[in-house]
Amino acid sequence: MSVELVDVHKVYKTSYYEVRAINGITMRIEDGEFIAIMGPSGSGKSTLLYLIGCLDKPTKGEVIIDGVETSKLGDDELTRLRREKLGFIFQQYNLISTLTALENVELPMIFKGVPKDERKRKAMELLRLIGIEDIAERKPMEISGGQQQRVAIARAMANEPRILLCDEPTGNLDSKSGRQIMGTIKELNEEKGVTVILVTHDPSMAEFAERIVRLRDGRLQDVP
Amino acid sequence: MYLELAVRNLRRTKVRSSLAIVGIIIGVMAIASIGILGNTMKQTALERFSDQARIIVVMPSNIKGFTDIAEDDFKIIERVGNIEYAIPVKDDRKMVNYKDSRAYVAIYGINEEDLRKLYNAYDGDIKLKGSAVVGYRLASNFGISVGEKISVGNKTYRVSGILEYQGLGGGLNPDNAVFLSMEDFDRIFEKEGYTSIVVKASSLEFVQDVEKRIDELVNTKQQKVEMRDFESLIQNVEESMNSMTRFLMAIAAVSLLVAGVGILNIMLMSTMERTREIGVMRAIGAPRRTVLFLFLTESAILGLAGSFIGALLSYLGAFFVVSSMGYSTNYVLNPSSAIYILQGLLVGIMTSILSGLYPAWKASRVEPMEALRYE
Repeated sequence: MSVELVDVHKVYKTSYYEVRAINGITMRIEDGEFIAIMGPSGSGKSTLLYLIGCLDKPTKGEVIIDGVETSKLGDDELTRLRREKLGFIFQQYNLISTLTALENVELPMIFKGVPKDERKRKAMELLRLIGIEDIAERKPMEISGGQQQRVAIARAMANEPRILLCDEPTGNLDSKSGRQIMGTIKELNEEKGVTVILVTHDPSMAEFAERIVRLRDGRLQDVP
Repeated sequence: MYLELAVRNLRRTKVRSSLAIVGIIIGVMAIASIGILGNTMKQTALERFSDQARIIVVMPSNIKGFTDIAEDDFKIIERVGNIEYAIPVKDDRKMVNYKDSRAYVAIYGINEEDLRKLYNAYDGDIKLKGSAVVGYRLASNFGISVGEKISVGNKTYRVSGILEYQGLGGGLNPDNAVFLSMEDFDRIFEKEGYTSIVVKASSLEFVQDVEKRIDELVNTKQQKVEMRDFESLIQNVEESMNSMTRFLMAIAAVSLLVAGVGILNIMLMSTMERTREIGVMRAIGAPRRTVLFLFLTESAILGLAGSFIGALLSYLGAFFVVSSMGYSTNYVLNPSSAIYILQGLLVGIMTSILSGLYPAWKASRVEPMEALRYE
Protein backbone atom coordinates (compact mmCIF):
# COMPACT_ATOMS: atom_id res chain seq x y z
CA MET A 1 0.00 0.00 0.00
CA SER A 2 1.56 3.25 -1.09
CA VAL A 3 1.65 6.59 0.67
CA GLU A 4 1.85 9.86 -1.19
CA LEU A 5 2.38 13.33 0.22
CA VAL A 6 1.63 16.35 -1.93
CA ASP A 7 2.96 19.72 -0.76
CA VAL A 8 2.10 18.99 2.86
CA HIS A 9 2.33 21.84 5.35
CA LYS A 10 1.63 21.77 9.05
CA VAL A 11 1.48 24.92 11.11
CA TYR A 12 0.85 24.85 14.84
CA LYS A 13 -0.69 28.06 16.01
CA THR A 14 -1.28 29.30 19.49
CA SER A 15 -2.29 32.80 20.43
CA TYR A 16 1.36 33.64 21.14
CA TYR A 17 3.37 31.96 18.45
CA GLU A 18 3.27 29.97 15.26
CA VAL A 19 5.37 26.90 14.49
CA ARG A 20 5.85 25.74 10.92
CA ALA A 21 6.47 22.09 11.71
CA ILE A 22 6.19 20.78 8.15
CA ASN A 23 7.03 23.11 5.37
CA GLY A 24 5.94 21.74 2.01
CA ILE A 25 6.85 18.10 1.72
CA THR A 26 6.11 16.08 -1.40
CA MET A 27 7.16 12.44 -1.41
CA ARG A 28 6.03 8.94 -2.23
CA ILE A 29 6.52 5.77 -0.21
CA GLU A 30 6.05 2.57 -2.18
CA ASP A 31 4.18 -0.52 -1.08
CA GLY A 32 6.42 -2.82 0.93
CA GLU A 33 9.13 -0.23 1.36
CA PHE A 34 11.10 0.22 4.61
CA ILE A 35 11.86 3.90 4.97
CA ALA A 36 13.57 5.75 7.80
CA ILE A 37 12.86 9.39 8.47
CA MET A 38 15.78 10.99 10.27
CA GLY A 39 16.48 14.40 11.59
CA PRO A 40 17.38 16.31 14.73
CA SER A 41 14.73 16.88 17.36
CA GLY A 42 12.30 19.58 16.32
CA SER A 43 12.86 18.85 12.64
CA GLY A 44 9.24 17.75 12.29
CA LYS A 45 9.84 14.05 11.75
CA SER A 46 7.28 12.89 14.33
CA THR A 47 4.75 15.38 13.03
CA LEU A 48 5.27 13.95 9.55
CA LEU A 49 4.70 10.43 10.86
CA TYR A 50 1.48 11.42 12.60
CA LEU A 51 0.26 13.17 9.46
CA ILE A 52 0.83 9.97 7.50
CA GLY A 53 -0.83 8.07 10.35
CA CYS A 54 -3.99 10.17 10.04
CA LEU A 55 -3.71 11.22 13.66
CA ASP A 56 -3.28 14.81 12.57
CA LYS A 57 -4.43 16.77 9.57
CA PRO A 58 -2.17 18.89 7.36
CA THR A 59 -2.78 22.62 7.33
CA LYS A 60 -2.26 22.52 3.60
CA GLY A 61 -1.56 19.78 1.07
CA GLU A 62 -2.76 16.21 0.80
CA VAL A 63 -1.85 12.87 2.30
CA ILE A 64 -2.91 10.08 -0.02
CA ILE A 65 -2.99 6.56 1.36
CA ASP A 66 -3.67 3.73 -1.03
CA GLY A 67 -5.03 6.27 -3.50
CA VAL A 68 -7.46 7.79 -1.00
CA GLU A 69 -7.20 11.50 -0.25
CA THR A 70 -7.40 11.48 3.54
CA SER A 71 -8.51 15.10 3.82
CA LYS A 72 -11.84 14.02 2.40
CA LEU A 73 -12.46 11.47 5.14
CA GLY A 74 -14.48 12.06 8.29
CA ASP A 75 -13.41 11.09 11.78
CA ASP A 76 -15.05 7.67 11.68
CA GLU A 77 -13.48 6.82 8.33
CA LEU A 78 -10.06 7.97 9.49
CA THR A 79 -10.48 5.87 12.61
CA ARG A 80 -11.31 2.85 10.48
CA LEU A 81 -8.31 3.53 8.26
CA ARG A 82 -6.04 3.61 11.32
CA ARG A 83 -7.65 0.51 12.74
CA GLU A 84 -7.50 -1.63 9.64
CA LYS A 85 -4.66 -0.39 7.49
CA LEU A 86 -2.19 1.27 9.84
CA GLY A 87 -0.25 0.00 12.84
CA PHE A 88 1.43 2.28 15.37
CA ILE A 89 4.49 1.70 17.50
CA PHE A 90 5.41 4.46 19.93
CA GLN A 91 8.55 5.30 21.84
CA GLN A 92 6.67 4.97 25.18
CA TYR A 93 5.05 1.68 24.11
CA ASN A 94 1.67 3.12 25.16
CA LEU A 95 0.18 -0.13 26.30
CA ILE A 96 -3.05 0.04 28.31
CA SER A 97 -1.89 -0.55 31.86
CA THR A 98 -5.05 -2.26 33.08
CA LEU A 99 -4.93 -4.89 30.35
CA THR A 100 -2.69 -7.95 30.11
CA ALA A 101 -0.27 -8.36 27.19
CA LEU A 102 -2.74 -10.62 25.42
CA GLU A 103 -5.64 -8.22 25.99
CA ASN A 104 -3.57 -5.31 24.70
CA VAL A 105 -3.04 -7.23 21.47
CA GLU A 106 -6.75 -8.05 21.37
CA LEU A 107 -7.78 -4.43 21.74
CA PRO A 108 -7.62 -3.33 18.06
CA MET A 109 -9.55 -6.47 17.15
CA ILE A 110 -12.17 -5.65 19.80
CA PHE A 111 -12.58 -2.23 18.19
CA LYS A 112 -12.94 -3.97 14.84
CA GLY A 113 -15.52 -6.40 16.20
CA VAL A 114 -13.60 -9.65 15.77
CA PRO A 115 -15.35 -12.50 17.65
CA LYS A 116 -13.83 -13.40 21.00
CA ASP A 117 -12.42 -16.85 20.23
CA GLU A 118 -10.90 -15.76 16.96
CA ARG A 119 -9.24 -12.69 18.44
CA LYS A 120 -7.84 -14.61 21.42
CA ARG A 121 -6.37 -17.21 19.09
CA LYS A 122 -4.97 -14.57 16.79
CA ALA A 123 -3.50 -12.47 19.61
CA MET A 124 -1.80 -15.54 21.04
CA GLU A 125 -0.45 -16.40 17.60
CA LEU A 126 1.02 -12.92 17.26
CA LEU A 127 2.68 -13.10 20.67
CA ARG A 128 4.14 -16.46 19.69
CA LEU A 129 5.37 -15.06 16.39
CA ILE A 130 7.15 -12.27 18.23
CA GLY A 131 8.43 -14.74 20.82
CA ILE A 132 6.71 -13.53 23.99
CA GLU A 133 3.79 -15.93 24.45
CA ASP A 134 5.08 -16.72 27.96
CA ILE A 135 4.14 -13.23 29.21
CA ALA A 136 0.66 -13.22 27.68
CA GLU A 137 -1.13 -12.97 31.02
CA ARG A 138 1.11 -10.31 32.49
CA LYS A 139 0.34 -6.62 32.70
CA PRO A 140 2.68 -3.96 31.24
CA MET A 141 4.03 -3.05 34.68
CA GLU A 142 5.22 -6.61 35.15
CA ILE A 143 7.38 -6.91 32.03
CA SER A 144 10.54 -5.26 30.69
CA GLY A 145 10.66 -2.36 28.24
CA GLY A 146 11.78 -4.61 25.43
CA GLN A 147 8.91 -6.99 26.13
CA GLN A 148 6.46 -4.11 26.29
CA GLN A 149 7.60 -2.90 22.91
CA ARG A 150 7.17 -6.40 21.51
CA VAL A 151 3.62 -6.46 22.84
CA ALA A 152 3.14 -3.08 21.15
CA ILE A 153 4.39 -4.54 17.86
CA ALA A 154 2.00 -7.48 18.23
CA ARG A 155 -0.80 -4.99 18.93
CA ALA A 156 0.14 -2.93 15.89
CA MET A 157 -0.04 -6.07 13.75
CA ALA A 158 -3.37 -7.29 15.20
CA ASN A 159 -5.58 -6.21 12.32
CA GLU A 160 -2.97 -7.08 9.69
CA PRO A 161 -2.17 -3.53 8.66
CA ARG A 162 -0.31 -2.78 5.42
CA ILE A 163 1.67 0.08 6.92
CA LEU A 164 3.60 0.11 10.20
CA LEU A 165 4.35 3.55 11.62
CA CYS A 166 7.16 3.52 14.17
CA ASP A 167 7.94 6.60 16.26
CA GLU A 168 11.38 6.10 17.83
CA PRO A 169 10.51 2.51 18.74
CA THR A 170 13.92 1.88 20.29
CA GLY A 171 14.27 5.26 21.98
CA ASN A 172 13.63 3.92 25.47
CA LEU A 173 15.55 0.66 25.06
CA ASP A 174 19.15 -0.41 25.49
CA SER A 175 20.97 -1.07 22.23
CA LYS A 176 20.64 -4.84 22.42
CA SER A 177 16.86 -4.80 22.94
CA GLY A 178 16.67 -2.03 20.38
CA ARG A 179 18.34 -4.15 17.75
CA GLN A 180 16.08 -7.10 18.55
CA ILE A 181 13.02 -4.89 18.11
CA MET A 182 14.36 -3.56 14.82
CA GLY A 183 15.01 -7.17 13.75
CA THR A 184 11.41 -8.05 14.43
CA ILE A 185 10.16 -5.03 12.49
CA LYS A 186 12.50 -5.86 9.63
CA GLU A 187 11.16 -9.42 9.55
CA LEU A 188 7.59 -8.19 9.33
CA ASN A 189 8.66 -5.98 6.44
CA GLU A 190 10.42 -8.75 4.59
CA GLU A 191 8.15 -11.68 5.33
CA LYS A 192 4.73 -10.05 5.35
CA GLY A 193 5.53 -7.22 2.94
CA VAL A 194 4.38 -4.58 5.41
CA THR A 195 5.40 -1.03 4.53
CA VAL A 196 7.46 0.35 7.42
CA ILE A 197 7.90 4.02 8.10
CA LEU A 198 10.41 4.53 10.89
CA VAL A 199 11.18 7.79 12.64
CA THR A 200 14.49 7.79 14.47
CA HIS A 201 17.47 9.93 15.26
CA ASP A 202 19.67 6.89 15.81
CA PRO A 203 21.72 6.13 12.66
CA SER A 204 22.36 2.53 13.73
CA MET A 205 18.62 1.87 13.73
CA ALA A 206 18.07 3.71 10.47
CA GLU A 207 20.44 1.21 8.85
CA PHE A 208 17.66 -1.38 8.91
CA ALA A 209 15.78 0.72 6.33
CA GLU A 210 16.12 0.51 2.57
CA ARG A 211 15.85 4.21 2.18
CA ILE A 212 16.62 7.09 4.52
CA VAL A 213 15.17 10.57 4.19
CA ARG A 214 16.44 13.44 6.25
CA LEU A 215 14.36 16.25 7.59
CA ARG A 216 15.47 19.69 8.70
CA ASP A 217 13.15 22.55 9.67
CA GLY A 218 10.19 20.78 8.20
CA ARG A 219 11.75 20.19 4.77
CA LEU A 220 13.26 17.15 3.10
CA GLN A 221 16.99 17.50 2.72
CA ASP A 222 17.81 14.91 0.11
CA VAL A 223 15.34 12.91 -1.83
CA PRO A 224 17.03 10.10 -3.67
CA MET B 1 -14.83 -6.86 27.35
CA TYR B 2 -15.69 -3.17 27.61
CA LEU B 3 -17.46 -3.95 30.86
CA GLU B 4 -14.40 -5.77 32.14
CA LEU B 5 -12.19 -2.88 31.09
CA ALA B 6 -14.49 -0.40 32.82
CA VAL B 7 -14.41 -2.40 36.04
CA ARG B 8 -10.62 -2.55 35.93
CA ASN B 9 -10.38 1.16 35.35
CA LEU B 10 -12.58 1.81 38.35
CA ARG B 11 -10.47 -0.54 40.41
CA ARG B 12 -7.41 1.51 39.56
CA THR B 13 -8.80 4.28 41.72
CA LYS B 14 -10.47 2.13 44.34
CA VAL B 15 -10.84 4.72 47.08
CA ARG B 16 -12.19 7.33 44.75
CA SER B 17 -14.65 4.95 43.12
CA SER B 18 -15.80 3.63 46.49
CA LEU B 19 -16.44 7.13 47.78
CA ALA B 20 -18.48 7.96 44.70
CA ILE B 21 -20.50 4.80 45.29
CA VAL B 22 -20.99 5.72 48.94
CA GLY B 23 -22.36 9.09 47.80
CA ILE B 24 -24.92 7.40 45.59
CA ILE B 25 -25.79 4.92 48.35
CA ILE B 26 -26.52 7.77 50.74
CA GLY B 27 -28.58 9.61 48.15
CA VAL B 28 -30.66 6.60 47.19
CA MET B 29 -31.11 5.64 50.83
CA ALA B 30 -32.27 9.13 51.71
CA ILE B 31 -34.83 9.21 48.93
CA ALA B 32 -36.15 5.71 49.46
CA SER B 33 -36.22 5.85 53.27
CA ILE B 34 -38.07 9.13 53.28
CA GLY B 35 -40.44 7.82 50.63
CA ILE B 36 -41.16 4.85 52.85
CA LEU B 37 -41.62 7.13 55.85
CA GLY B 38 -44.17 9.12 53.87
CA ASN B 39 -45.88 5.95 52.79
CA THR B 40 -46.02 4.72 56.37
CA MET B 41 -47.59 7.98 57.46
CA LYS B 42 -50.11 7.75 54.66
CA GLN B 43 -50.99 4.13 55.28
CA THR B 44 -51.32 4.75 59.00
CA ALA B 45 -53.70 7.61 58.34
CA LEU B 46 -55.64 5.64 55.75
CA GLU B 47 -55.92 2.69 58.06
CA ARG B 48 -57.72 4.90 60.53
CA PHE B 49 -60.19 6.00 57.90
CA SER B 50 -60.46 2.98 55.70
CA ASP B 51 -63.10 1.23 57.74
CA GLN B 52 -65.35 4.26 57.60
CA ALA B 53 -64.51 4.97 54.00
CA ARG B 54 -66.39 1.89 52.88
CA ILE B 55 -69.58 3.10 54.54
CA ILE B 56 -72.41 4.50 52.46
CA VAL B 57 -75.37 6.03 54.25
CA VAL B 58 -78.61 5.80 52.31
CA MET B 59 -81.17 8.40 53.38
CA PRO B 60 -84.62 9.36 52.21
CA SER B 61 -84.54 12.22 49.76
CA ASN B 62 -85.98 14.98 51.93
CA ILE B 63 -85.92 17.51 49.13
CA LYS B 64 -88.26 15.34 47.06
CA GLY B 65 -90.62 14.94 50.00
CA PHE B 66 -89.55 11.48 51.20
CA THR B 67 -89.14 11.05 54.94
CA ASP B 68 -88.46 7.33 55.14
CA ILE B 69 -87.19 4.33 53.21
CA ALA B 70 -89.76 1.60 52.65
CA GLU B 71 -89.11 -2.00 53.69
CA ASP B 72 -89.29 -3.04 49.99
CA ASP B 73 -86.54 -0.62 49.08
CA PHE B 74 -84.41 -1.89 51.93
CA LYS B 75 -84.83 -5.44 50.60
CA ILE B 76 -83.59 -4.24 47.20
CA ILE B 77 -80.60 -2.48 48.73
CA GLU B 78 -79.76 -5.53 50.82
CA ARG B 79 -79.41 -7.64 47.68
CA VAL B 80 -76.96 -5.31 45.88
CA GLY B 81 -73.68 -7.07 45.18
CA ASN B 82 -70.28 -6.33 46.72
CA ILE B 83 -71.59 -5.23 50.07
CA GLU B 84 -70.62 -6.51 53.47
CA TYR B 85 -73.87 -5.50 55.08
CA ALA B 86 -76.89 -3.24 54.80
CA ILE B 87 -78.26 -2.19 58.16
CA PRO B 88 -81.67 -0.54 58.46
CA VAL B 89 -81.87 2.14 61.13
CA LYS B 90 -84.67 4.24 62.47
CA ASP B 91 -84.00 7.32 64.49
CA ASP B 92 -85.74 10.13 66.24
CA ARG B 93 -85.21 12.25 69.31
CA LYS B 94 -86.75 11.88 72.72
CA MET B 95 -86.27 13.03 76.29
CA VAL B 96 -84.05 10.61 78.22
CA ASN B 97 -84.10 10.53 82.02
CA TYR B 98 -81.53 9.00 84.34
CA LYS B 99 -81.84 9.74 88.01
CA ASP B 100 -81.86 13.56 88.09
CA SER B 101 -80.35 14.07 84.66
CA ARG B 102 -82.42 14.55 81.57
CA ALA B 103 -81.57 15.35 78.00
CA TYR B 104 -83.20 15.40 74.60
CA VAL B 105 -81.05 12.95 72.62
CA ALA B 106 -81.03 10.78 69.51
CA ILE B 107 -82.78 7.42 69.84
CA TYR B 108 -81.90 4.72 67.33
CA GLY B 109 -83.93 1.67 66.48
CA ILE B 110 -81.70 -1.11 65.25
CA ASN B 111 -81.43 -4.90 65.29
CA GLU B 112 -79.14 -6.27 67.95
CA GLU B 113 -76.89 -8.21 65.58
CA ASP B 114 -76.63 -5.15 63.34
CA LEU B 115 -75.51 -2.94 66.20
CA ARG B 116 -72.81 -5.50 66.97
CA LYS B 117 -71.57 -5.20 63.41
CA LEU B 118 -71.28 -1.45 63.76
CA TYR B 119 -69.80 -0.96 67.21
CA ASN B 120 -68.09 -2.68 70.08
CA ALA B 121 -69.13 -2.45 73.69
CA TYR B 122 -66.84 -0.47 75.95
CA ASP B 123 -68.58 -1.92 78.97
CA GLY B 124 -71.26 -4.61 79.36
CA ASP B 125 -72.77 -6.36 76.31
CA ILE B 126 -74.70 -5.28 73.30
CA LYS B 127 -78.14 -6.72 74.09
CA LEU B 128 -81.35 -5.08 72.96
CA LYS B 129 -84.01 -7.59 74.10
CA GLY B 130 -85.93 -5.25 76.35
CA SER B 131 -82.77 -3.43 77.26
CA ALA B 132 -80.90 -0.41 75.86
CA VAL B 133 -77.35 0.38 74.81
CA VAL B 134 -76.06 3.90 75.34
CA GLY B 135 -73.31 5.90 73.67
CA TYR B 136 -70.06 6.71 75.43
CA ARG B 137 -70.60 10.44 75.92
CA LEU B 138 -74.15 10.07 77.16
CA ALA B 139 -73.04 7.42 79.64
CA SER B 140 -70.16 9.49 80.93
CA ASN B 141 -72.16 12.73 81.10
CA PHE B 142 -74.96 11.14 83.02
CA GLY B 143 -72.73 8.76 84.95
CA ILE B 144 -74.65 5.74 83.71
CA SER B 145 -73.28 2.29 84.57
CA VAL B 146 -74.18 -1.06 83.04
CA GLY B 147 -77.21 -2.62 84.72
CA GLU B 148 -78.81 0.67 85.72
CA LYS B 149 -82.10 1.93 84.35
CA ILE B 150 -82.87 4.85 82.08
CA SER B 151 -86.19 6.01 80.74
CA VAL B 152 -86.89 6.99 77.19
CA GLY B 153 -90.11 8.92 77.02
CA ASN B 154 -92.32 7.03 79.41
CA LYS B 155 -90.66 3.62 78.97
CA THR B 156 -87.88 2.33 81.17
CA TYR B 157 -84.95 0.18 80.01
CA ARG B 158 -82.08 -1.56 81.68
CA VAL B 159 -78.69 -0.50 80.24
CA SER B 160 -77.00 -3.65 78.96
CA GLY B 161 -73.94 -2.01 77.47
CA ILE B 162 -72.00 1.19 76.81
CA LEU B 163 -70.42 1.65 73.38
CA GLU B 164 -66.81 2.57 72.71
CA TYR B 165 -66.17 6.20 71.93
CA GLN B 166 -66.55 6.72 68.16
CA GLY B 167 -66.13 10.38 67.34
CA LEU B 168 -67.30 11.62 63.97
CA GLY B 169 -68.11 9.49 60.97
CA GLY B 170 -69.50 6.09 60.26
CA GLY B 171 -72.92 7.41 59.30
CA LEU B 172 -74.50 7.53 62.76
CA ASN B 173 -73.67 9.63 65.77
CA PRO B 174 -73.66 7.00 68.48
CA ASP B 175 -71.80 8.80 71.24
CA ASN B 176 -74.70 10.82 72.49
CA ALA B 177 -77.49 8.37 71.71
CA VAL B 178 -79.59 5.52 73.03
CA PHE B 179 -79.98 2.33 71.01
CA LEU B 180 -83.17 0.29 71.25
CA SER B 181 -84.40 -2.75 69.39
CA MET B 182 -86.64 -2.08 66.39
CA GLU B 183 -89.62 -3.36 68.33
CA ASP B 184 -89.00 -1.10 71.32
CA PHE B 185 -88.36 1.85 69.02
CA ASP B 186 -91.64 1.24 67.20
CA ARG B 187 -93.52 1.16 70.50
CA ILE B 188 -92.34 4.69 71.24
CA PHE B 189 -92.36 6.32 67.84
CA GLU B 190 -94.62 4.25 65.58
CA LYS B 191 -92.63 4.94 62.42
CA GLU B 192 -93.32 3.17 59.14
CA GLY B 193 -90.11 2.99 57.11
CA TYR B 194 -86.45 3.39 58.00
CA THR B 195 -84.73 6.74 58.41
CA SER B 196 -81.44 5.47 57.04
CA ILE B 197 -79.68 2.37 55.77
CA VAL B 198 -76.01 1.96 56.64
CA VAL B 199 -74.30 0.05 53.81
CA LYS B 200 -70.72 -1.12 53.91
CA ALA B 201 -69.04 -1.97 50.61
CA SER B 202 -66.93 -5.13 50.72
CA SER B 203 -63.95 -3.10 49.54
CA LEU B 204 -63.07 0.54 48.97
CA GLU B 205 -63.00 0.13 45.22
CA PHE B 206 -66.67 -0.95 45.14
CA VAL B 207 -68.04 2.12 46.90
CA GLN B 208 -68.88 3.91 43.66
CA ASP B 209 -70.36 0.79 42.07
CA VAL B 210 -72.58 0.09 45.04
CA GLU B 211 -73.88 3.65 45.04
CA LYS B 212 -74.58 3.51 41.34
CA ARG B 213 -76.39 0.22 41.68
CA ILE B 214 -78.58 1.45 44.55
CA ASP B 215 -79.40 4.56 42.56
CA GLU B 216 -80.38 2.45 39.53
CA LEU B 217 -82.51 0.04 41.49
CA VAL B 218 -84.28 2.33 43.98
CA ASN B 219 -84.53 5.66 42.19
CA THR B 220 -86.31 4.21 39.18
CA LYS B 221 -89.26 6.58 38.83
CA GLN B 222 -88.47 9.15 41.46
CA GLN B 223 -85.42 10.06 43.42
CA LYS B 224 -86.44 8.37 46.61
CA VAL B 225 -83.04 8.10 48.30
CA GLU B 226 -79.79 10.00 48.55
CA MET B 227 -76.39 8.66 49.43
CA ARG B 228 -73.52 10.00 51.41
CA ASP B 229 -70.02 8.51 51.56
CA PHE B 230 -66.63 9.36 52.97
CA GLU B 231 -64.51 8.78 49.94
CA SER B 232 -63.57 12.40 49.40
CA LEU B 233 -62.24 12.44 52.94
CA ILE B 234 -59.93 9.55 52.12
CA GLN B 235 -58.89 11.18 48.89
CA ASN B 236 -57.98 14.35 50.72
CA VAL B 237 -55.89 12.47 53.22
CA GLU B 238 -54.20 10.49 50.48
CA GLU B 239 -53.46 13.53 48.35
CA SER B 240 -52.07 15.64 51.14
CA MET B 241 -49.92 12.75 52.34
CA ASN B 242 -48.66 12.12 48.82
CA SER B 243 -47.67 15.72 48.27
CA MET B 244 -45.92 15.82 51.62
CA THR B 245 -44.01 12.65 50.70
CA ARG B 246 -43.02 14.13 47.37
CA PHE B 247 -41.81 17.27 49.07
CA LEU B 248 -39.70 15.31 51.56
CA MET B 249 -38.30 13.15 48.79
CA ALA B 250 -37.35 16.23 46.79
CA ILE B 251 -35.33 17.43 49.77
CA ALA B 252 -33.69 14.02 50.03
CA ALA B 253 -32.94 14.17 46.32
CA VAL B 254 -30.53 17.02 47.00
CA SER B 255 -28.16 14.52 48.57
CA LEU B 256 -28.33 12.45 45.41
CA LEU B 257 -27.63 15.55 43.37
CA VAL B 258 -24.49 16.08 45.42
CA ALA B 259 -23.53 12.45 44.78
CA GLY B 260 -24.11 13.07 41.08
CA VAL B 261 -21.72 15.99 41.18
CA GLY B 262 -19.27 13.61 42.88
CA ILE B 263 -19.46 11.23 39.95
CA LEU B 264 -19.13 14.10 37.53
CA ASN B 265 -16.04 15.17 39.39
CA ILE B 266 -14.26 11.83 39.51
CA MET B 267 -15.12 10.99 35.93
CA LEU B 268 -13.76 14.35 34.79
CA MET B 269 -10.58 13.69 36.75
CA SER B 270 -10.39 10.27 35.24
CA THR B 271 -10.83 11.69 31.75
CA MET B 272 -7.97 14.07 32.35
CA GLU B 273 -5.66 11.49 33.88
CA ARG B 274 -6.32 9.06 31.09
CA THR B 275 -6.02 11.52 28.21
CA ARG B 276 -2.98 9.70 26.90
CA GLU B 277 -4.67 6.33 27.14
CA ILE B 278 -7.67 7.71 25.28
CA GLY B 279 -5.28 9.00 22.62
CA VAL B 280 -3.70 5.56 22.27
CA MET B 281 -7.06 3.88 21.95
CA ARG B 282 -8.13 6.39 19.33
CA ALA B 283 -4.82 5.90 17.48
CA ILE B 284 -5.20 2.15 17.30
CA GLY B 285 -8.70 2.46 16.00
CA ALA B 286 -11.27 3.10 18.74
CA PRO B 287 -14.10 5.22 17.35
CA ARG B 288 -15.31 8.19 19.39
CA ARG B 289 -18.49 6.35 20.36
CA THR B 290 -16.43 3.50 21.83
CA VAL B 291 -14.60 5.93 24.09
CA LEU B 292 -17.91 7.55 24.99
CA PHE B 293 -19.43 4.17 25.75
CA LEU B 294 -16.46 3.08 27.85
CA PHE B 295 -16.63 6.14 30.09
CA LEU B 296 -20.40 5.99 30.32
CA THR B 297 -20.10 2.36 31.34
CA GLU B 298 -17.81 3.36 34.17
CA SER B 299 -20.20 5.93 35.58
CA ALA B 300 -23.11 3.54 35.03
CA ILE B 301 -21.30 0.87 37.05
CA LEU B 302 -20.77 3.35 39.88
CA GLY B 303 -24.44 4.32 39.66
CA LEU B 304 -25.77 0.78 39.46
CA ALA B 305 -23.61 -0.47 42.30
CA GLY B 306 -24.44 2.52 44.50
CA SER B 307 -28.13 2.45 43.65
CA PHE B 308 -28.60 -1.26 44.26
CA ILE B 309 -26.69 -1.24 47.53
CA GLY B 310 -28.53 1.94 48.49
CA ALA B 311 -31.88 0.36 47.63
CA LEU B 312 -31.14 -2.65 49.82
CA LEU B 313 -29.88 -0.51 52.67
CA SER B 314 -32.98 1.65 52.30
CA TYR B 315 -34.94 -0.96 54.17
CA LEU B 316 -32.59 -0.53 57.09
CA GLY B 317 -32.71 3.24 56.74
CA ALA B 318 -36.47 3.16 56.57
CA PHE B 319 -36.73 1.01 59.70
CA PHE B 320 -34.56 3.54 61.47
CA VAL B 321 -36.33 6.67 60.21
CA VAL B 322 -39.84 5.27 60.63
CA SER B 323 -39.28 3.97 64.13
CA SER B 324 -37.46 7.11 65.21
CA MET B 325 -40.52 9.10 64.10
CA GLY B 326 -42.65 6.94 66.33
CA TYR B 327 -44.52 5.05 63.64
CA SER B 328 -45.09 1.33 63.40
CA THR B 329 -42.60 -0.33 61.03
CA ASN B 330 -45.32 -2.63 59.65
CA TYR B 331 -45.47 -0.77 56.39
CA VAL B 332 -41.73 -0.75 55.67
CA LEU B 333 -41.85 -4.17 54.04
CA ASN B 334 -45.31 -3.57 52.60
CA PRO B 335 -45.54 -3.80 48.79
CA SER B 336 -46.75 -0.18 48.74
CA SER B 337 -43.30 0.84 50.05
CA ALA B 338 -41.44 -1.00 47.31
CA ILE B 339 -42.36 1.69 44.81
CA TYR B 340 -40.25 4.17 46.77
CA ILE B 341 -37.28 1.80 46.75
CA LEU B 342 -37.75 1.50 43.02
CA GLN B 343 -37.98 5.27 42.66
CA GLY B 344 -34.77 5.75 44.64
CA LEU B 345 -33.09 3.11 42.53
CA LEU B 346 -34.14 4.62 39.22
CA VAL B 347 -33.34 8.18 40.24
CA GLY B 348 -29.93 6.98 41.47
CA ILE B 349 -29.11 5.23 38.21
CA MET B 350 -30.36 8.14 36.16
CA THR B 351 -28.36 10.67 38.16
CA SER B 352 -25.19 8.63 37.68
CA ILE B 353 -25.65 8.24 33.96
CA LEU B 354 -26.49 11.91 33.53
CA SER B 355 -23.43 12.87 35.58
CA GLY B 356 -21.28 10.57 33.47
CA LEU B 357 -22.54 12.04 30.23
CA TYR B 358 -20.41 15.18 30.13
CA PRO B 359 -17.09 13.56 31.14
CA ALA B 360 -17.71 10.75 28.65
CA TRP B 361 -18.50 13.22 25.91
CA LYS B 362 -15.36 15.13 26.80
CA ALA B 363 -13.31 11.95 26.66
CA SER B 364 -14.71 11.12 23.25
CA ARG B 365 -13.68 14.54 21.93
CA VAL B 366 -10.04 14.07 22.87
CA GLU B 367 -7.85 14.59 19.79
CA PRO B 368 -5.54 11.57 19.46
CA MET B 369 -2.59 13.69 18.39
CA GLU B 370 -2.80 16.06 21.33
CA ALA B 371 -3.44 13.19 23.74
CA LEU B 372 -0.30 11.37 22.60
CA ARG B 373 1.79 14.45 23.20
CA TYR B 374 0.19 14.86 26.64
CA GLU B 375 2.52 13.88 29.43
